[in-house]
Amino acid sequence: MRTRTKVCVLLAGALVLTGCTKPGETGNSSNTPQYGGTLTVLDDAAFSGSWPTGLDPATNTTGGGNLTQMSAIYGGLFRLEANADGSNAKVVPYQAASGDYAPDGKSITIKLKPNIKFSDGTPFDADAVVFNIRRDMNADCTCKPTWQLDGTPEQAITAQGSDTVVIKFAQPTATAIAAFVIANVNWIGSPTAIQAMGDQFAIKPVAAGPFTVESDDLSQKLVLKKNPTFFIEGRPYLDTLIVQSIQGDQPAYQALLAGQAQAYEGMTTIPLLEEAKNNSSLVVTQQPATSPYVIQLNTKIPPFNDIHAREAIYYATNVEAIRTGLFKGAYPASQSFTAPGGLFNHSTIPGYRTYDLQKATDIINQYYGGSLNVDLGTLDAYVANQVDTELQTEWAQAGIHAKLHSDQLGALVQNFIGGKWQAMLQTAGAWDPAVGVGVGFRFGTTSPFSGISDTQIDDLLQQAGQISDPARRDALYLQVGQRISDQAYAPFILAFAPASVVTKGVHGPGLDTLIPPVVVNTAILWSDAWMEQS
Amino acid sequence: MTDVAQSGPAPRIISAVLGSPALRLIVKRLLTAIPILLGVSILMFVLLNLLPGSAALQLLGPQATPEQIAKLNDELGFNRPPVQRYLEWLGNFVRGDLGKSIVSKQPVAQVLPEKLAVTGELVALAFVISLGVAIPLALWAARRPNKIFDRISGLFTTAGLSLANYVLALLLGLAFAVKLPWFPSFGFTSISKGLGNNLYSLFLPAVALAFPLLCFYARFLRSDLVDQLQGEDYVMTARAKGLGPWRVLLRHAFRNSSFGLITIVGLNISTLIGATVIIERIFALPGIGAYLLDGILTRDYTRVQAIVMIFALITVLANLAADVLYAVLDPRIRYGSN
Repeated sequence: MRTRTKVCVLLAGALVLTGCTKPGETGNSSNTPQYGGTLTVLDDAAFSGSWPTGLDPATNTTGGGNLTQMSAIYGGLFRLEANADGSNAKVVPYQAASGDYAPDGKSITIKLKPNIKFSDGTPFDADAVVFNIRRDMNADCTCKPTWQLDGTPEQAITAQGSDTVVIKFAQPTATAIAAFVIANVNWIGSPTAIQAMGDQFAIKPVAAGPFTVESDDLSQKLVLKKNPTFFIEGRPYLDTLIVQSIQGDQPAYQALLAGQAQAYEGMTTIPLLEEAKNNSSLVVTQQPATSPYVIQLNTKIPPFNDIHAREAIYYATNVEAIRTGLFKGAYPASQSFTAPGGLFNHSTIPGYRTYDLQKATDIINQYYGGSLNVDLGTLDAYVANQVDTELQTEWAQAGIHAKLHSDQLGALVQNFIGGKWQAMLQTAGAWDPAVGVGVGFRFGTTSPFSGISDTQIDDLLQQAGQISDPARRDALYLQVGQRISDQAYAPFILAFAPASVVTKGVHGPGLDTLIPPVVVNTAILWSDAWMEQS
Repeated sequence: MTDVAQSGPAPRIISAVLGSPALRLIVKRLLTAIPILLGVSILMFVLLNLLPGSAALQLLGPQATPEQIAKLNDELGFNRPPVQRYLEWLGNFVRGDLGKSIVSKQPVAQVLPEKLAVTGELVALAFVISLGVAIPLALWAARRPNKIFDRISGLFTTAGLSLANYVLALLLGLAFAVKLPWFPSFGFTSISKGLGNNLYSLFLPAVALAFPLLCFYARFLRSDLVDQLQGEDYVMTARAKGLGPWRVLLRHAFRNSSFGLITIVGLNISTLIGATVIIERIFALPGIGAYLLDGILTRDYTRVQAIVMIFALITVLANLAADVLYAVLDPRIRYGSN
């Protein structure tokens, strides 16, 4: 055997043993998609597997977490696509034919693809889209986009002919189309069904996506069947898609190994990920990171209204120890709200205060008599709790004593709204910093989830949201990152991202290829998912 | 007229009830249940109102402004005085109207029966397994105290009591769904698809629920049986009459020891129902436990109130069943003597 051949054989053997293959080629024994099959995808009951308010875009407050359910049922006017390795990610029209900004950026025109029909046979036309977006914008649910419309929804959202929708804004809004992929306005339901079904629409929505709803046990199990009238010929490949809620990573991992499910979205437990990577029957696809962990400091109340206390936290935080100790170096460190998988990434910021225990101790001794007590909260999740515990240990070495508490989402939100919190471990940023849980959500003065009040940052963020030139936006976001760093508003830790885990023979964009997560999980393109048929 | 009325069926039933000690006991227990259920409902109402977070926040989403929250609270009636809200809810509950889920808008009474059936089956199976294993185990251990079987069963039950059932649930899944693919790792098969399939899907969760109870029952019963066998006169008498050891154990000692066991089983029903919350989650069973947990997390007061009251009712009925069993087993209770 020639040396080259031997090397190839050894490499192939190593790939089989580790279960880690190049994204886009993972586990494919065949590159030709096959039709048929029932795929069960597991979603964590604490996040994507929870849809307590149902699946109506106008009322689903957890829509950002339910991307699988919503995109499988509704499809979407736009969607985020990327090359198999996650590169060249961009928002592309899906049920829309195009989306264009007016030259002044104060309106967008959405052209629809012709001849799309809802599964109840009614037309998916401009009137239907206008009906839905007006309904979403008029709903009390804050799951709607934070657009400043030019007038009421009835005035600002209009149909032009049967295939064109125009949305007018009060000010230039250059990120409106990017915002679609994470906003409820992307998901269009049948107006006829909405009016006829009332509250029941949320349980069994009727739309024009790749699948139709067979049964829906809220936050438990959603059974979807192939939509025979789907607008793309030959899609979807799967006959049935079952979304099953499951209690976290361990039961999900066991269900995959038992062969009862074929995919799991958003695995985060590092030891399980390591084990899954070594299991030849599974394919682990680590999605690109878009949202770094950040320690938000509430600068409106003591002790973090004093820059010295904030600086001490920066210096006392050993990011490298967390990155290598807890996460085995799997995720890159970050000094700003951007990450390698998202737009405008700058992982380092000039002058950023890095770990220096002596400096932290000196500050605590000089300004706080050698001891500073702080309250550190987070969402009750495995990874977040682990990071908080590590921070508590690190900070104690500098005389900073952290009292930890982790809360369910509702209580956490109440803490933010109450404004009495001191420090919070959260994720910040999004694929596009202007959308979703983007930078404004964590650092804008008016956001209830921000601990800072800084008009300079507000102005920079507003400008970045109004212009479309990527280079100018990049420069503006860099300035925001610099300002956060200079003022020691919030130390960043690392850019974390969950992984998709599938059984061998399951393929699809976002399942065994990379797509940057728009908020937390990757939006899997279910119309293109397929299973090898034995 | 009066004579006819007095000799009609209704007075005859009343007279029968008053004349039968067992029926008197049931009626007395049912009447006692009313203040208990009222107490539970008040406590639950107070606790739910003390929980941080609100249904309005869940419905509006995390970016809701205080004004939006206040408006929705007003629409949902949460701004009315708590006493008024409680009395309204109580009136509806008594009439069988469990209300609509605040979060999903589904009528609770429509969703509940299906979920109650799943949990009911799970709890029943767990009881069958726990008692079905605990009783023979305890009998065998008590037959020869401190001998090898007794010591092994003591170790086994101590280990079982030390193991949290959610850990056991994961271990059972790993052992009997992954390593030995004998049972499903999650999911529920309805009884309409065959009793065999139904029991197959519930077996691992039922074992996870039953195991700690089984260990507790076995230890309790074994200890009580040993006490009976070693210290009671009636055992001596039975032995003196020439009855064999198994007959003494089963016919005499076990009959007396079963009173304590029945009390414990009756009291444990609420513990068992409580444990279903986490077990149903781990095995993804569409039962009432998981439904309750979702209700608490989303501050769906209507749903939580209905489920807690049903749990309380089941607990009261289970204890009543235990009392009736006493009467069946003990003629002194049945005939009203001391």
